[in-house]
Order: sequence, then C-alpha cells, then structure tokens
Amino acid sequence: MQVTLKIFRYNPEEDKKPHYESYKLEAEPTDRVLDLLEYVKSYHDGTLSFRRSCAHGVCGSDAMRINGLNRLACKVLIKELSAKKITIEPILGMQVIKDLIVDMEPFFENYRVVMPYFVNDEPPPKRERLQSQEQRERFDDTTKCILCASCTTSCPSFWANEKYLGPAAIVTAHRFIFDSRDRAGAERLKRLNDAFGVYRCHTIFNCTVACPREIEVTRAIGEVKKAIATGKID
Amino acid sequence: MALKRSVGLKGLRYRGGGPMLAWSLHRISGLLIIIFVGTHVLASFFMQQTASDLGTNLNIIYESLYFQILIYFVVMFHGLNGLRILILDTWPQLLEYQREVTWLQWLVFIPVYGLTVFIMIQHAASSG
Ligand code: FES
Repeated sequence: MQVTLKIFRYNPEEDKKPHYESYKLEAEPTDRVLDLLEYVKSYHDGTLSFRRSCAHGVCGSDAMRINGLNRLACKVLIKELSAKKITIEPILGMQVIKDLIVDMEPFFENYRVVMPYFVNDEPPPKRERLQSQEQRERFDDTTKCILCASCTTSCPSFWANEKYLGPAAIVTAHRFIFDSRDRAGAERLKRLNDAFGVYRCHTIFNCTVACPREIEVTRAIGEVKKAIATGKID
Repeated sequence: MALKRSVGLKGLRYRGGGPMLAWSLHRISGLLIIIFVGTHVLASFFMQQTASDLGTNLNIIYESLYFQILIYFVVMFHGLNGLRILILDTWPQLLEYQREVTWLQWLVFIPVYGLTVFIMIQHAASSG
C-alpha cells in the first residue's frame, strides 16, 4: 500500500522556523512507523534525525507524536493507524534540537527529584531482603516504566509548566514508595507534596492513554496523592 | 539553536480523546458558571440601584429558555464531572475503571438532563 509520511522538520543550522515535509512510500500493513522513518532516512533524506535504539519497545528512545498521539515509533504498525497519511511530530513541551529529537534534560531533571533509586541504610541481612508475593505485587505495575516521556509530554499540566514533575517522575516515585524494602518513602512524599508535585495532576488521563507499557499512570499518581493525604503507605 | 519550548494551540490538537475532552469541558463550564453568576449579580445591581434598563435586559436574556437550557447543561455537567473526580481521588483503585466510570457519568447525565429539558420546553410551550 502507498502511504504518505508527513514529518516535522527543523534544522537548527539552516531553518528559522520548522516546516513539514511529505514522503510517499510503499509500505506493508505490518511495517512499523520506525521502519518507514528508517526508509526515509536511507533512501530519501539522510539528514532526517530521530532517536532509536532497541527498536523493540524496551529502551524508550523513540517516543513521538504519531497522528496526534504520543506513541513509540517501534511499536506502532501501519495497519493500526488506519490512515494513508501519517503525521509525525516531536513530543510536546520540550525544546526541539533537530527534527524529531528533543532535549530530554528537563524531563530527567524532574526525574532526579524523586530519588529514583533504592534507599535502605539498615545493615543488609545475610541473604537477600525478603519480600512476600503480595508486597512485590504492590508496585509491579510501575516497575514497567521505560522513561520514554510519552506520558509526561502528553500532560496538559506539564505543557503549562515544565516544572511540574510530571507523570513519569511520579510513577518512578510510586515504584519505590510502595516497595516494602525501601526506607525513603516519607522523603519522596514530602518532595511530591509541593506546588509542582502531585497536585498538578488533574486526572486528565492523557498519560494513561499514552503509556506504551500500559501502566495505569493516573492510578499510580492517585495512590501517591492518597498516601500524602492520609500519611499512610498501604 | 534548539527550537524554544512552545505548546499553545498544538496542545488542543493532541488527540487525548474522551477523558481530555471531559477535562476541557470541566474548565470551560467552570468559567461559564462564573460568567453566569457574575451576570446575575450585575443584573440585580442594575435593577435595584439604577434606573437604566440594563438590568431588565440582562434578566430577559438570563431567563430565556435557550439560556436556561445552556446553564443547566453547564452546571449539571460541572457538578457530575466534579463528583466523578472526587470519587476517583478518594478511591484511587477505581482509577483503573475510569472508562466505565465516565460511561456511568453520561448514563446518569443524559436521562436527568433530557427529562428536565423536556419539562422546561413543555412548560414554556404551555405557558407561552
Ligand atoms: S527504539 Fe527502543 S523503545 Fe522504540
């Protein structure tokens, strides 16, 4: 089948303003959007820039707006889009460095605020720190995050202000707060109970819709909000 | 140089679907409620304090059937949607079923709103 890729282009060395360029190509319904981008880069215009690494939905490099919705280019099949014209744009609310590549630094700055690592200063037991199946299950959903920024850059609260920590950072916080072995939950909750913390979430659900790992993002944020409100982690 | 961060109208084109629409409507209806109440207070002020016709005219608009149907939509939607968010905030485990909860919201809204509008129109027709 013939498809037209309409791609957002911006070259900081030549362009004052971004523009769109269209490419007509032959595609199989089972091709992924990433395959088409690779094709354009190989055969039409080698200057087209985008991030990708694993090409299998694991590394989180290739989040972009595909037909107006944040998706991973390596996970979306052409047949799923049910459109002959595919518009590809960079994720919103970030500085565009070139074409589809954005500056992820503000995203990772927010991520670091929630202490995205395991904290426990108690002397380690002889063997591993044990956890029951239920305790592990409690935060299983939020362990799946690959930091692609699809959720954060789909959030109108983040668009309004990039200081809002954003869904991805809160999902990471959730992963540690509800981990029975971790001891820094109170500190994380304190940091999230801030003007730019969890209460900027207005349950818009764009994050949950956007997440390529199907994490219940809004639910995780809701649970963190409740933990702050009640002072209980359960 | 990197392109400055700007979202603006591009945000409106984001295809968030039903939940994003509900959120936008919640904001818009909130704003409309403030305008309606403001107009009402203004009308009362002009009626009581000045001799101008402004108050009466405002009241005529305010009490017209179309306006009432619109106000009723806005207030009812804002109230119900707010209630949905309150419930989901109180029991975050329900957030998993947000789609179903949204359907439920419309399931309550449509008959209650429809019936009231029907009565309003019937009343207007019989008295006018
Ligand atoms: S390239 Fe790794 S997630 Fe798509």
